[in-house]
Amino acid sequence: MGSILGVNKKQAQILCVGLDNSGKTTIINKLKPKETQAEDIVPTIGFTVEKFKSSAVNFTVFDMSGQGKYRNLWEHYYKDAEGIIFVLDSSDKLRMVVAKEELDLLLQHAEIKAKKIPILFFANKMDLRDSLSSVKCSQMLELEKVKDKPWHICSSNALTQEGLHEGVQWLTDQLTSHP
Amino acid sequence: MATEAEQNKMNDSLASDGNRGNSQGGSSKWLSAHFDPVASLYTFSSCMTFSDITGDGENRLVIADLGTGAHNMKLKIYKGTSLVNENTIIDLPTGVATFYMDTIEPRVPAVAVASGPYLYVYKNLRPYFKFTLPPLEVNPVEQDLWNQARDDKIDVTVLREMLDSIRREGTEGALTVRSLRFLMLPDRDQMEMFAQSYKHTPLKRQTVITCLATLKKSSAEDDAISCLVVGTECKEIYVLDPEAFTIQARMSVPSVPVFLRVTGLFDVEYRLVVSCRNGNIYTLKKGMKTGKLCVELTSQPVGVERIGKNIIAGCMDQTLQCYTIKGKKLWTVYLSDNIITMSVMDHKQKGFKAVMVALDNGDVQIYRDKYLIDTIKTDSAITGIQYGRFGREDCSLVLTTRKGGLLIKILKRNAVFEEKDFARGPPAAQNQRLNVPKKTKVFVDQTMRERENGVAMHRMFQHDLYRLRLNTAREYVKVLNSSMNPVSTNLAEPLKLSAQVQGIGPTFKMTVNLQNTSLSVPIMNTLISFLYDEKLYSLQKTMIPVPLLVPGLNYKFETLVECVNDKGISDVIKAFVVKEGATSPIITAVINMPVSETVVVA
Ligand SMILES: Nc1nc2c(ncn2[C@@H]2O[C@H](COP(=O)(O)OP(=O)(O)OP(=O)(O)O)[C@@H](O)[C@H]2O)c(=O)[nH]1
Ligand SMILES: [Mg+2]
Repeated sequence: MGSILGVNKKQAQILCVGLDNSGKTTIINKLKPKETQAEDIVPTIGFTVEKFKSSAVNFTVFDMSGQGKYRNLWEHYYKDAEGIIFVLDSSDKLRMVVAKEELDLLLQHAEIKAKKIPILFFANKMDLRDSLSSVKCSQMLELEKVKDKPWHICSSNALTQEGLHEGVQWLTDQLTSHP
Repeated sequence: MATEAEQNKMNDSLASDGNRGNSQGGSSKWLSAHFDPVASLYTFSSCMTFSDITGDGENRLVIADLGTGAHNMKLKIYKGTSLVNENTIIDLPTGVATFYMDTIEPRVPAVAVASGPYLYVYKNLRPYFKFTLPPLEVNPVEQDLWNQARDDKIDVTVLREMLDSIRREGTEGALTVRSLRFLMLPDRDQMEMFAQSYKHTPLKRQTVITCLATLKKSSAEDDAISCLVVGTECKEIYVLDPEAFTIQARMSVPSVPVFLRVTGLFDVEYRLVVSCRNGNIYTLKKGMKTGKLCVELTSQPVGVERIGKNIIAGCMDQTLQCYTIKGKKLWTVYLSDNIITMSVMDHKQKGFKAVMVALDNGDVQIYRDKYLIDTIKTDSAITGIQYGRFGREDCSLVLTTRKGGLLIKILKRNAVFEEKDFARGPPAAQNQRLNVPKKTKVFVDQTMRERENGVAMHRMFQHDLYRLRLNTAREYVKVLNSSMNPVSTNLAEPLKLSAQVQGIGPTFKMTVNLQNTSLSVPIMNTLISFLYDEKLYSLQKTMIPVPLLVPGLNYKFETLVECVNDKGISDVIKAFVVKEGATSPIITAVINMPVSETVVVA
């Protein structure tokens, strides 16, 4: 009964990271209820906190800024994160190494290393010409080497919401099956 | 005595020696974003730039590709790793620059390519304008010769001979390109044909652009309108208006300009640093008509950069030399190989500028001042370097190789550059022979004297040393006697005592200062007492009980001293600090009393 009313729903705090302009804010905006969605998306300064719901989980998400000068903020939120959304701009081949570097720093961080939290990758902007497939992206990030954490990558187009639901559903399953 | 320069050299090698333990950072500071070994890009640093030429916030890489040097010369635009646009260039490019030429919204910068006597200006990736350098005056004799050839008054052999004599007069640059080409033809038939096809077109003498730079017009903002500055083969430098392409300023230098570095604003004040083909560097300021000699380099420069107030030149003798804008040499770094090209790394996030030097062995070394702060190893010599914002990445580095490859590197966000040298092993400078000056006569004489009189000199020295010690001991005794800060040497009661006498008499005030000099142990149960001649003085307090002495604090005790004798004699008063129950004092101060003034009786 409680779960239908949404009172007893599981709460989860997650962290959304990725390089600037990858589409983090756009994705989170599209996951929010229609009536609370923002019209314009501007580059995030520092970070913002947003809430959205999936079938079984109420998410509180920290939408971090991806600009170089703000990336050192990410690690301050690793401690309380129960899951991570890592957004890639799959059309930005040049900076895929930078995304990999940031991912490596994240995975090596003591707070992240210590726990087995799920990581969801969005290979975003799949609609753009010469964007890389999700397989190619995971190859470039060497995701096959991530063995101690559950991860999942899906192609997405934040503008049309394509792929977003699949990703959030995976995250929901992860968070509810391992309480 | 080492000269100042040698001293510097020695310091250099010492400095780098001290840091030897540091690891060879190598390429670990850089992420390899892209490598295309077969990009077939043949270019130099002066033909590469980054610019937001579409106005979408993503910088493109603009490259003027020299192709084979005769064919395939192209203006290429890269967006990220992919080539998105190509424009054919007719003649060999000598430089590219991007600049804002107007304030029309949306703001997009134009691309200027210098090639032959022309400047091709592109806007929105489309050809927009062609600027031609003003033609030069044709040598009247040469003009006359071609006129006669046109009217068939002279035949090609005569024409050839006459032109050749003008050329041999030593003013080769004074001939037109047509005459020079004509002189290069091997046989009569070809000369005949050449003359036939060209003799009816008017003779023009044109010069070519050798270097290109931009100069902001009236505001220093990133997107402010800029003038173009071109150096030409006829030893002139022009500043061009960005809208009308008229020559706004015309300057000359004594030799052909090769590298041009511009700072300042055209409407306010600007300075050009021009490195010329004669190996000299000249400077020009607003309003000057001719270049002022700044540096005469000992070797031809391969690259010249301006960092702050300094000029850094990479020379063919494998040196990196730094001069002030006034021409004073600051330092020289000796490199391990020939320099191919140079560029500036403006690390805005960390707030420093360094110079990147590409060597023949494929290394790219980064120098901050004279200190090597990083080395990037590549397996082909680098001919073009450009550091700056590419795409959305502020710290990008684009390298083109001699084999036509393209490398793109991105500086790691948390890369730390050492302030000083990290070079391993002995620095290159150590292999350099020091320029030790010849032994002077004074030096030789002095050496002889030292050799002959060694024993006497040693004795004299010992004698002087004893005297010095004796003098020191005497002074010490004197100090002890006149109570200047006597300090207790007793470890149990570390105390410092000093006393002052104030007044002119017959009543004086004596102040005794006590300080516990231990770190933490308080001193208790002590007294101050005095020893004096009772016929001469009478003390208000002959014994002062001392409270607990807290370490470090200064305690002040006062007593009045009256001189009871009016004969004008003075004596010493001894102040003791004694421990209750002990028989000998802890410390003693001997106070020399001043002579008392007698009471003036009215
Ligand atoms: N074509 C396309 N554009 C997208 C997509 N997702 C986001 N964008 C656009 O990418 C730009 C950047 O999106 P943001 O959501 O602000 O990116 P961000 O990751 O939050 O950036 P920072 O806040 O700076 O870290 C916006 O102009 C979006 O409209 C996508 O799937 N396809
Ligand atoms: Mg954002």
